[in-house]
Amino acid sequence: MGTLATEFRIAYNNGSGPGLAAVLTPIATRDDPDRLLSFYNFSNPAYLTKDLNSSFFHGKNPRVPKAEQHAWVDIFAAYWEAVGEILKWEAGHPGASAVAIFNAWKKVANAVIRGYSVQSGLPAWSLPCLYTVGKFLRTFAIKADLQVASQGSSGLDFQEEVAADFEKNATLEDAARVINRMFTLCLSDRAPIEESRKWGIYNTTNLLFKTYFKINSVGLTKNLIRAIKAQSDDLPPLDAFPKSHIVTFEYYLGVIHFLDENYAEAEEHLTNAWRLCYRHANKNRELILTYLIPCHLVTTHTLPSNQLLAPFPRLEKLFRPLSNCIRTGDLVGFDKAMSAGEEEFVKRRIYLPLERGRDIALRNLFRKVFIAGGFEEAKDGQPPIRRTRVPVAEFAAALRIGTHATGRTRVDMDEVECLLANLIYKGLMKGYIARERGIVVLSKNNSAFPGTGV
Amino acid sequence: MSNSTPAQNKVESDQPQQQKPQVLEEDDEFEDFPVEDWPQEEAEQPSGSANGTNEHLWEESWDDDDAAEDFSKQLKLVLPNLSMHCSDTY
Repeated sequence: MGTLATEFRIAYNNGSGPGLAAVLTPIATRDDPDRLLSFYNFSNPAYLTKDLNSSFFHGKNPRVPKAEQHAWVDIFAAYWEAVGEILKWEAGHPGASAVAIFNAWKKVANAVIRGYSVQSGLPAWSLPCLYTVGKFLRTFAIKADLQVASQGSSGLDFQEEVAADFEKNATLEDAARVINRMFTLCLSDRAPIEESRKWGIYNTTNLLFKTYFKINSVGLTKNLIRAIKAQSDDLPPLDAFPKSHIVTFEYYLGVIHFLDENYAEAEEHLTNAWRLCYRHANKNRELILTYLIPCHLVTTHTLPSNQLLAPFPRLEKLFRPLSNCIRTGDLVGFDKAMSAGEEEFVKRRIYLPLERGRDIALRNLFRKVFIAGGFEEAKDGQPPIRRTRVPVAEFAAALRIGTHATGRTRVDMDEVECLLANLIYKGLMKGYIARERGIVVLSKNNSAFPGTGV
Repeated sequence: MSNSTPAQNKVESDQPQQQKPQVLEEDDEFEDFPVEDWPQEEAEQPSGSANGTNEHLWEESWDDDDAAEDFSKQLKLVLPNLSMHCSDTY
C-alpha cells in the first residue's frame, strides 16, 4: 500500500485528476508490475479502513475535508476488495471469476458515485477517477458476460438457450445502469461551472454510448441526447471541452444519425469528428471514414480520393472498387463489388447507403450518353448548345454497355423508361420523357444532370 | 500512434491486460485516445480552415476524361439502326 498511498498523496497535492485516476486503475504498470499485489498485501479486512486512513491522510498532508476523506477511504476499501478478486483470477484461483471481479468493481463505482454525491465530497477536478472507474466497470462487465456465455452454452435445451441469449448482456446492462448514474451525476451538478462536474458530461455520455451500442440498444442513446439538449444552455460550448471528449461524442452522434438514415446530419457530425480527430489515432480515423464516406456518397454524391484512402488499406479494399464502378457507370462491376463486400458492408451497417451508389453509377452512364450526343449547330455566334433531345433507345444502348449485355439479351424499353423516370424523380436528371416520340427532353443551360456541370 | 505523448506509459501498461485469456474483441469500437487533448496542429485539419485542406479528399463522382469518345463509338456500335431516328427528331 505504501507506494499506492504515496502516489495518491502526490497526485492529490498536485491537484492532478489524471494522476488520481492512474492510482485507481486496476492494472499493474510496466514500472511496477507488482503494484496490485503489494497494495493488496499491505492490509487485511480487519484493519483496512484504519490502514487506508493513516497511509492516505496521516500528517494533514494532503489537507482534505473529513467528508471527502471518508469518501476516498470508502472508494479505496472497495478497490482493495476488487484488487483481491483480480489477483485471485490472475493466479487461477478456483473461486475466482470475472463475475466476482465485476461485482467487486461495481462497489468501487458505487463508492465513487456516492463520493461525488455527498455534501463537500469529491472535487470536480478528480473527475478522471469517475471516467476510469466507469471504463473498467464496462470492461469487467463484458468479460463477465463472456464468461457466463462460455460456461452456460453447453447442455442447454432450446428454451434455455433462448433465455441465455436474452441474458447474454445481463452484466453489461447492469453496468449501463451504473454508468447512467454517472451521467446524471455530471449533468445535474449545480455547482459554478469552474468546479462543476458538467465537464464530465461528454466523457460519461461517450462511455454510455459505447455501452448501448454493445448491448444493441442504440435507441437508448436518444434519451441521453435529449437530456443533454435540454441542459444545453447551462453547458459550456463544445469547443471548450478536451478534443478527445468531443471527437468521440461527435463520432457516435454521427453514427446514431447514420443508422437513422439522417445522412445530412450524420455527415455534419462525422465531419466535425474527422476535422478534430487526433492525427495519429489511425483506428479512430478509419472508423470515422467508414461512415463518412457513405454519407458523402448519399448527400453530395462525392467519392473518396486516392489520397484519402491511401493510409487505410481496409477502407481502400472496402470502397475503392465500388467508387471506380460508380465513376465509370459500370453497373455490372458495381453489383459485383456490392456482393463481394456484402458481408462487411452489412456488418458495418453501411450496405443501405452504399446501395444508393447504383443510382449515381446509372446517372454517370446516362450522362455519358448525353455528352456523346454532342452539340446542336450553333446559331450565329452563340455558344454551342448540347443536344438535349436524346432518344430513349440511346439510353437503352448505354444500359447494354453498362450491364455488359450480350447481343441476344434485350433491354426492355419500359424498363429503361422506368430507370429514367426514377433518376428524374430523384433529381439526378432534369427533363421529361416524351413517350410518343420515344425521346427524353433534357433541361438546357447545363442543368440536365444537376451539379455535374452539364 | 504518436511516440511523444505523455500518456504513453499508460497505454503500454494496458497491453499486458489485453493479452489475458479473454481478449475483448472490440473490432469496430471507437478507441480511447492516448491523450485527452491536443493542439489544433495535431488535429486532422490543422489550419482550422473550413474546407481548404479537405477539398482534395473528396472527388466528384463522374469523370469527363478521354473515354467519352470511346463511349460514343461504343454507343454507335450498339445501336447502328438508331442513327436514323436520331436525326429525325429535330
